[in-house]
Amino acid sequence: METIENNINSQYPMQHYEVLQELGDCYTCAGNHKVAQDCYEQAAALGPDEAGPYIGLGVIALQNELLDDAESAFKIAIRLDKCSSKAYTGLAMVLQRKGALQQAFDTYLKSLELDCDNLTALLGLFQTSCSIGSFSKVIFYLQTYLSMHPGDISVMFTLAALYLKDGAAEKSEKILQDILALDASNTDAAKLLEEVEHQSASAGKK
Amino acid sequence: MEQKKVIIDGPQVSVIIPTYNRPTQLGQAIASAVGQTYSNLQIIVVNDGGCDVSDVVKQFSDANIKFIDRPVNRGKAYSLNEAIAEANSKYIAYLDDDDIYYPNHIESLVEALENSDEYQAAYSDLYKTYSRQMPDEKRHVLGKVLEVSRDFDRYFILYFNHVLHVSLMHTKKILEKTGLYNENLRVLIDWDITRRLVFFTDFCHVGKITGEYNTPAGENDRISYLQRKEGGSFAKDFLTIRTSRPAKPWTKLKDLSIILTAQRLDRLAGKTVGSIWKETFYPYKLYIPVCNAQTNGLNTDMPNLVFVPAKEGSSQDEQIDTALGQCEGDFVAIVPADFAIEQMWIEEPLYGLIQNHQKKVAYSLDQTGQKNLPAVFRKDELLASRKKFSNLSAEESISKYGIEVRKLEPKEIPFQFDSLLKEAKEAEQNGCWREASEIYEYIGRQYKNQLWMNALAAQSLYKSGEHTRSLELAGKINRERPTVDTLLLEAKICKEQGDLIRATRLLERAREILNGVYPDGNN
Repeated sequence: METIENNINSQYPMQHYEVLQELGDCYTCAGNHKVAQDCYEQAAALGPDEAGPYIGLGVIALQNELLDDAESAFKIAIRLDKCSSKAYTGLAMVLQRKGALQQAFDTYLKSLELDCDNLTALLGLFQTSCSIGSFSKVIFYLQTYLSMHPGDISVMFTLAALYLKDGAAEKSEKILQDILALDASNTDAAKLLEEVEHQSASAGKK
Repeated sequence: MEQKKVIIDGPQVSVIIPTYNRPTQLGQAIASAVGQTYSNLQIIVVNDGGCDVSDVVKQFSDANIKFIDRPVNRGKAYSLNEAIAEANSKYIAYLDDDDIYYPNHIESLVEALENSDEYQAAYSDLYKTYSRQMPDEKRHVLGKVLEVSRDFDRYFILYFNHVLHVSLMHTKKILEKTGLYNENLRVLIDWDITRRLVFFTDFCHVGKITGEYNTPAGENDRISYLQRKEGGSFAKDFLTIRTSRPAKPWTKLKDLSIILTAQRLDRLAGKTVGSIWKETFYPYKLYIPVCNAQTNGLNTDMPNLVFVPAKEGSSQDEQIDTALGQCEGDFVAIVPADFAIEQMWIEEPLYGLIQNHQKKVAYSLDQTGQKNLPAVFRKDELLASRKKFSNLSAEESISKYGIEVRKLEPKEIPFQFDSLLKEAKEAEQNGCWREASEIYEYIGRQYKNQLWMNALAAQSLYKSGEHTRSLELAGKINRERPTVDTLLLEAKICKEQGDLIRATRLLERAREILNGVYPDGNN
């Protein structure tokens, strides 16, 4: 018989780090940035190899429009964890706000490669793609996301709009019909569907 | 922060703090003893030949502190015995120089002991504190984990310790029965005393967290840890402890006599004797009927060995009868020299016999249950069978007298709690979180230790994705006895569900504990 509690080589816990990190997130959501920043800084001291606190610090800086501070925080986070989709999203948001749209687009893409379920990155990618006119990759990620979240109306609507911009009116029409089947009172979808049908009818007359 | 002392009338408690080369941490340990809510204390600090700590002790102007400053290092057991000799209290408690009590520690244990005549020993739960030593010798707390919160289990303590020494309090008087600390041991001196205590008393488990013991991250400097790494001496001390028998009468344990029957004391018999020594943890004496001519070649260093003079060429039955007359155990096991001794070989059938209150029942040792021997019996019944049917063989007399030699049934197997706990841990390692949580909850329902098991179940449920049930369980625990782990767990789920206010409140409570604000709100 072995004794579990007498194992003297048990792993060290990261409890204190986790508590501070979670607290930082809570205070950030509540808008208490000063306390949140303090929590993240303490968490960074306890977990010097963890990306989490720097992502938190980046988010606070971004929300306060301190874009350079945010950029360096997200870059530290990426250096600590090259697979952090959140860190890439944060950096992409900074780049987007700085007007570096192509770089932002590429960074959102990197973020989605790491986590195709990252809705913030997906919507950021959509926004930047609208500005730079590159739709095919966005469509791919929106389709991937919808295959995991089939009833997500906001993403369905985004995809329908992109299809329309990309000249795929039939696909757009199908998705909008699906949205209305799920939510008959969705006026945005109804209006866009009306527009699509109008365009299709006009094209047919020609 | 200065503690406000609550004056409580009650018997005096001696708190023994042995120290060796830890001047930085010692001050905190003494402060935690001085800051108890229970005031009738004698605090005995013993410097075991380490660096000068007199300035640290002098900081405390408490007249109840006695300082033994010995220049020569003689080990922890010696230091404890030296302090016990100076102790003039009803109760003895222990504190290591790098651990701390919470203010309610002594009060909680005294209350438990004073409120019942049943117990002469009590223990509480402690956080295992993981810390990182900073260059300025300050500690950075990484986490505080409640690793063990086990209800008293006498049988398990015979096998290994589950009571943390720093959480233990016992009467001074009981040491007259158990004896003092064994100064020949280098490791596990705490288990040695706990094991000897279970011969004479039940322990009261106070289910409160009343202190912390420290585990530094990285290379551990604990003497006990370093000595455990020395395999040979560890094994030697381990066996010494497992074979020690305090003087009788034992009030809480029955004695076991093992009779080894052998035609010749050859190599095979020697191997069996060695295996009995290595594998048996229930207290026993081994009786070997042997003729004088054979005793010369035997190793008599083994503890608890009794050579019973027997006639040359005597039969197995004659050997049994000869040895039986000398056995002092309440139970007697008859074992032939060629019997394969394995782990739990005697403890399992013996446990069955102890739990079974039916008369004229014995348990087979070989699990075939086809023969009456080898088996373990109640001595009075075996003796009666031999007296009444002395003309028959031992096997026949057992049957004739009406003793039923049974096989152990699965439900009678001891340590089911531990087997299930191991099963749950294995399920966790294989990622079967749902299965693990079900086992934990089952153990909690069947084998006490409910709070501890529910805490483990809540963690497994979380990992299995069943967050609602996990939240329910964690919330229930936190209302009764919050720990950092369960507060963090409940907070994470609240945060996921968007209840940020509740999550923040729980996380702040966890942070307070990590920062040294004690569970009862004092710091």
